[in-house]
Amino acid sequence: MKSGRTSAARAPAIAPFYPVERAYDDMFTAEGTLRPHYRQLHGRMSALSAAELADRQRTLEQSFLLQGITFTVYGGGEATERIIPTDLFPRIIPATEWALIEKGLTQRLRALNAFLADVYGGQKILADGVLPRDLVLGAASYRREMQGIYVPYDAYVNVSGADLIRGEDGGFFVLEDNLRVPSGVSYMLANREAAKRTFPEIFRSARVRPVERYPDLLLAALKSLAPEWRPDPQIVVLTPGVFNSAYYEHAYLARLMGVPLVEGRDLVVHDNIVHMRTTSGLRAVDVIYRRVDDDFIDPLTFRRDSILGAAGLFNAYRAGNVVIANAPGTGVADDKAVYAYVPDIIHYYLGEDPVLPNVKTFLCRNPVELNHVLANLDKLVVKAVGASGGYGMLVGPHATLAERRAFAQRLKADPTNYIAQPTIHLSTAPCLVEGRIEPRHVDLRPFLLAGSKITVVPGALTRVALRRGSLVVNSSQGGGSKDTWVLAGSEAKP
Amino acid sequence: MMLARVADSLYWIGRYIERAEHHSRLCDVMLTAALDQNDAGVTVARRAASAVVDVKAVMGAEATMGAARSLVLDRRNERSVVTSLARARENARQVRDQITSETWERLNLLYLRVVSPTADRAFVRGPSAFLQSIIADLHLFNGAADATMSHGQGWRFLLLGIHLERAQLIARLLNVCYGDQLAKSPLEDHMTQVSVLRMACGLEPYLRVYTADIDSRLLLQFLLFDLEFPHSVRFCIERMEEHLRNLAPPGAAAARSRPERLAARLSGTLEFADLEETLAPAALLSAVAQECSAIHHAIIETFVSYPLEQRLKA
Repeated sequence: MKSGRTSAARAPAIAPFYPVERAYDDMFTAEGTLRPHYRQLHGRMSALSAAELADRQRTLEQSFLLQGITFTVYGGGEATERIIPTDLFPRIIPATEWALIEKGLTQRLRALNAFLADVYGGQKILADGVLPRDLVLGAASYRREMQGIYVPYDAYVNVSGADLIRGEDGGFFVLEDNLRVPSGVSYMLANREAAKRTFPEIFRSARVRPVERYPDLLLAALKSLAPEWRPDPQIVVLTPGVFNSAYYEHAYLARLMGVPLVEGRDLVVHDNIVHMRTTSGLRAVDVIYRRVDDDFIDPLTFRRDSILGAAGLFNAYRAGNVVIANAPGTGVADDKAVYAYVPDIIHYYLGEDPVLPNVKTFLCRNPVELNHVLANLDKLVVKAVGASGGYGMLVGPHATLAERRAFAQRLKADPTNYIAQPTIHLSTAPCLVEGRIEPRHVDLRPFLLAGSKITVVPGALTRVALRRGSLVVNSSQGGGSKDTWVLAGSEAKP
Repeated sequence: MMLARVADSLYWIGRYIERAEHHSRLCDVMLTAALDQNDAGVTVARRAASAVVDVKAVMGAEATMGAARSLVLDRRNERSVVTSLARARENARQVRDQITSETWERLNLLYLRVVSPTADRAFVRGPSAFLQSIIADLHLFNGAADATMSHGQGWRFLLLGIHLERAQLIARLLNVCYGDQLAKSPLEDHMTQVSVLRMACGLEPYLRVYTADIDSRLLLQFLLFDLEFPHSVRFCIERMEEHLRNLAPPGAAAARSRPERLAARLSGTLEFADLEETLAPAALLSAVAQECSAIHHAIIETFVSYPLEQRLKA
């Protein structure tokens, strides 16, 4: 690929088959046959040489760098900007599978919003004993300040991005709900734009459902939250600032929605009304799509040392003069212990069976389950309920005996703080690795919007563990992403 | 409607962009002049450089190269081209939602080029080509901004920054070259005057107006007062006046904003100034510098860091 394109480089990059491991693979069945929805893409990819693919990969990375789609890595004294590694090989989700995902996620979000309205309202679900009271009210993410506050349409969660994974039989599970300030949607959009430019011919014939409407759907959802007597509401995106690793996304969404991107220092609260400082004086703000964590939005109500929010913002919210999206306190519904109860929550509020199952979860607060977890520590993943992003966690099969022993001590000392799940073999999808097609482990993050109604955008961010065999898809730990094609159903055929 | 912070960033992008361009040009002319056998070329190069960097009294070709390198690629040098570009880009990143992708990409690309590890080698190998390409890229940036951004508030703040910085830099250049010198030891050497015109990006436009008969009074006349040449001080001040008039809130016609008043006053001074009256233009050039700095402070106080009590409804 460096110089002198040899005949080897001109050879097709794609092998007719790669051995499928234990995990479910998107493109091949365990017997090695090609799944029908991948047939066309596989055929077209086979026609491209390794050199051509590498060429397109370079073009793509160049365009990301040029657009500034980067995240900042601090260390070694200087901040460097990197692009998130992007894999060219699109992932395909057939229409029937998508229909199930859409139904399942909508059901889940309806139930979770009802749950939040109840927890911050009459707390019937706690009175009925469906969930232990202390588990909910004792969660670090429960915000007492939200009790009794009016939230339009009971839409506490307006933007979410659930993490889905496939089990070994290919069925989807919900691993996490991500109801706080999920990110990654800009990568979904940028990957799509790149895929269209890189494989125009394949894209056109594949009949992929569009994701490009995300910004205007988001704007519509945010506008629907504004009070009716504000016919032309002022929407803003609140960012922690340019040093935040997701800053690119904040600016991107603000630009595509055509609304101001504000920082805490741009906001002034006076008489319980939130204003922003413009060149011609102050202007009232109606809806804040905040990309700042709960703790930091208002130093008068939450963390005193925060300089990212605006003093008095929460009082303005309480007075009903501004809408904050997502509402503060939504974290209590994606707490890792509450997660175990989501099927019960769906039953309780909707009277339905969950469409998408949970991953089996053991609550260590329960002595029987704790004993099971302690006995099977080498097979399980143990997570602290309050933490996220892979912190405070033990991956049993990869830990040493000493590590497991030390963790068991912590577990026994504070069992309510932990849950455990079986080690999940993430499914694989074909990826382009050094000019060859190889399977890599992936997950799936679709994005949901909820205002006056719930919308699931037909697309997703597929996160990829780019190292062979690795199960870690986080971008901070060698993960990448790829475009995800949700195909139009047969009924949509012209 | 525009956020005060955004207006501030756009204004500073303009200032840094213009600074980077001017310093690139200064270095290019300085390095070329140092090649000549003529002492006068070196003199003017040194004098021009003294406006922006510490320069020793006597400077050979090698030292000139060192000074140029510092003014272009030294991140520790506050006024270097690379520092200016990095700051312009950092400001652009903070208002990424307010500038078009075309504009951003020009600046981002240029930034990535000057901070790349190969930049130093490229500069040493061919400083002139390197500097010319920076200048060309900055022209592309200005062109992209003009062609793709709405000519509204944001664009006006960007241009305010460009014109203010330009007026200051040209005034400073003229001051070090001609300030006190005109009466005592005029820079009458042809090559020298050509260098000054080049640094102000004005050689060809000057020739078209006054032909190759280069005279220091005509030169000053041109760079200070010409109505059509975009790098003349008067041209810059008039553009600023125009932008400030458009940025004023409607209905405030009776009481012009402070920055607009200051700009209009300076514009008037330049309109009616007569070089023949003064033996040394130093006083006029210093007045320009002072007024520009006053306009800068007025812009910040009026649009960006105004006291809140004034703007809250009672």
